[in-house]
Amino acid sequence: MSIGSFILKNALRNRRRALLSILSVSVSLFLLVSLLVTLRELTLPPEDMGAALRVAVRSKLSIANLLPARQLNRIQSIPGVSAVTPFTWFGGKYKNEENMTFAQFAMDAKKLRAVFGEAKMSEPEYKAFESTRDACIIGRVTADKYQFKRGDRLSLESSIYPVTLDFTIAGIYEGTVDDRNMLFHQEYLDEASGNPGWVGMWWLRVASPDDMPRVITAINTAFANTSAEVRAESERAFQLGFLSMLGNVRVLIGSISAVVVFTLVLVSASTMSMAIRERFRELAILKALGFRRRELFVFILAESVGLCLAGLVVGAGGAWLLFTHGYGAGLALLSGAGVALGVALWNLFQKRFSQAAMNLPVSGLLASLGIWACRHPNISKMTNGFFITFEVTPKILGLAALVATGLGIVASIAPAIAAARMSVVSGLKTLD
Amino acid sequence: MALPLTYNLRNVLVRWRATLATILGIALVVAVFILIQSLAAGLEQSGRNTGDPRNLMIVRKGSTAESSSQISREQLKTFGYLPQIARDGRGRPLLSADLTVLVSLPRADGNGEANVTVRGLGPMGIELRPQVTLTAGRWFIPGRREAVVSTKMAQRFAHCAPGQHFKTGGKELTVAGWFDGGNSAFDSEIWMDADEARDLFDRESYSSVLVRMMDTNAAAQFMGRMEKDRRLPMRVVPEVAYYSEQTRTSVVFKVIGTFLAVAMSVGAFFAAMNTMYASVGSRTREIGTLRVLGYRRRAILLSFLVEGGIVAALGGLLGCATSVGLQSLSVFLGWQFGTMSFNTFSEVVFQFRITPGLAAQGLLFAVVVGVLGSLLPAIRAARLPVIAALKEV
Repeated sequence: MSIGSFILKNALRNRRRALLSILSVSVSLFLLVSLLVTLRELTLPPEDMGAALRVAVRSKLSIANLLPARQLNRIQSIPGVSAVTPFTWFGGKYKNEENMTFAQFAMDAKKLRAVFGEAKMSEPEYKAFESTRDACIIGRVTADKYQFKRGDRLSLESSIYPVTLDFTIAGIYEGTVDDRNMLFHQEYLDEASGNPGWVGMWWLRVASPDDMPRVITAINTAFANTSAEVRAESERAFQLGFLSMLGNVRVLIGSISAVVVFTLVLVSASTMSMAIRERFRELAILKALGFRRRELFVFILAESVGLCLAGLVVGAGGAWLLFTHGYGAGLALLSGAGVALGVALWNLFQKRFSQAAMNLPVSGLLASLGIWACRHPNISKMTNGFFITFEVTPKILGLAALVATGLGIVASIAPAIAAARMSVVSGLKTLD
Repeated sequence: MALPLTYNLRNVLVRWRATLATILGIALVVAVFILIQSLAAGLEQSGRNTGDPRNLMIVRKGSTAESSSQISREQLKTFGYLPQIARDGRGRPLLSADLTVLVSLPRADGNGEANVTVRGLGPMGIELRPQVTLTAGRWFIPGRREAVVSTKMAQRFAHCAPGQHFKTGGKELTVAGWFDGGNSAFDSEIWMDADEARDLFDRESYSSVLVRMMDTNAAAQFMGRMEKDRRLPMRVVPEVAYYSEQTRTSVVFKVIGTFLAVAMSVGAFFAAMNTMYASVGSRTREIGTLRVLGYRRRAILLSFLVEGGIVAALGGLLGCATSVGLQSLSVFLGWQFGTMSFNTFSEVVFQFRITPGLAAQGLLFAVVVGVLGSLLPAIRAARLPVIAALKEV
């Protein structure tokens, strides 16, 4: 028997314990990966392709303050600006929904393609949107969620303006990072609210990335010391500014991740000690046969790291599968359910009813999780649109692997020391 | 006959090394659950704490936050002198027309900016909110560009000490003093004079109106009258109700807390199961002996379930203690949490608030995990064949 197979046999001699250890490590690693991805999403949101060319202009007071519509001409005349559109938060409530689930913005329909080129729609849809006063377009994600289609009508009551507007859906767009928003004509909003001459923000596109810093400075100085001072910033900076408003949430998630890692260390260290304590007699025999402490340590270490790495594959791999290939994860869970069901049926056939009774709920649980994953194949469906992307990056997987390896090493230290210290005679006397 | 409880207690103590990790693991799960839920409770409490039961709040119909509500001066005149409104000694109605504006201010730690609610209050505004007290400096003087900052916000945002100035709307505001909102939503605000604010932020109208009612009868009449008046698209709600409705942000914490607790407890469940299996495995002979002594299978089963429950309850108690300890520590060190409210889109500050109900939920959670986790090992223990168990080395 080679040393490798000796270690493997040892790790699997108590299959139930190995399985339980792997599962508890994998659940924690799954959680850790989810938390790290959340943290990343909150620190570094996804970016559109055109973002490097876009500038957001908001009131210097705060994003909730409006800007005078007359600023348009001044901004347009700045060299390097290729297109400008107003972008006004409507804050409409759809039907009786308590929480707003998709954002609506009023803008200049003719500038849609020039500023937000990522939004893909067919030519007739563009035409219809541009030419109809009460037309709106809706992102694919929202359209799917509410089963909106072209030609549908919807009515939204604004929480900002004292109006309720009726819209006709002219098109469904997709291809942006966040296909959730609804866009409609600024003119329609202006008419309905009596032409107050205010817009929410300006969004503009610069001709080339090199123009960006100059254009931003030019806009900021153009309105300095006027009654409506503005803050122009790149799309990236604007988004990050939004995230800085989340405050201590990031610290919170960071500390929870630390707690999860700590719990992991505790649990796997105790499992490892348990596994080794049961084996003191054997270890004593190995010692008596002439194995060195170093070799015993390697046995224990390899077993512990091996279990943790198996947990890594299940936990972190499962997280990756679930968040990026929801269907795959669903199918994997369903096939797991099938296996459990098969085992349960086999148990029934062999009249081992109590085992069947244990395997049936496991199968049911896996099946319901699998069906859930299949019905929510992407993260925006899982979180009801809270997260749009939930990318498990190689860096995060690497970090999880590092944690798992470290865990395996730390967990093996205490039992290894105990095994090293034990005298052969007392080890041989151990009963359990 | 059931096995005595001391048997289980002593077993837990004798095997402390193996049980300690399980206890600590469960304790951490419970602590995380209680702490996150207590953040949600803290947020809700700051909403529930806000307002005076005698006051009514008037906002524009359809607006979801005060800062997006508008009440024009003409509208104010039509209801500002209704007879149901209480009056002060000189016969003036107890009413404050406020302007709330979101203002972006730099954080004290240099970590970017965040929105803050600036409230411009009418002359009676402070009197109508008796729960707010001055803690440093003095109140703002109407007609001066002065502001009074909540003590909690002053710690989070730059240039907010009395005497310092911060810039907004192109003009400088001098901080006249600090106030304490008594753990209410006002703790997340900056206060100044309403007309000064209208001038500074270039606003024609007010955002909301707060009125003191003569009594509950008058309040009902007033609400009915405002409801009937078609010229006034206003929503009239008791001030207390208005603020306690604003709980959208706390829902997020509740969801996160529950998700984490469930996921972590699945891990803890496997760990507890592992410990109990090991415990059963190393006690095989003992169990055989108990059976020979006449204890029934179900006594053994029950005994192991109880033992799992005890271990988990110890973990739960430790978790409760940890979270309460952390809460006291956070009070002692003056920690506070701040995040963007999903109702007002401005920063709200809040603290941990552990309620007895939360602690009980955490404990219950722990015991359920412990009992469920020991179910399979207990069944195994109960089903051990007596003779084979006795022969076990």
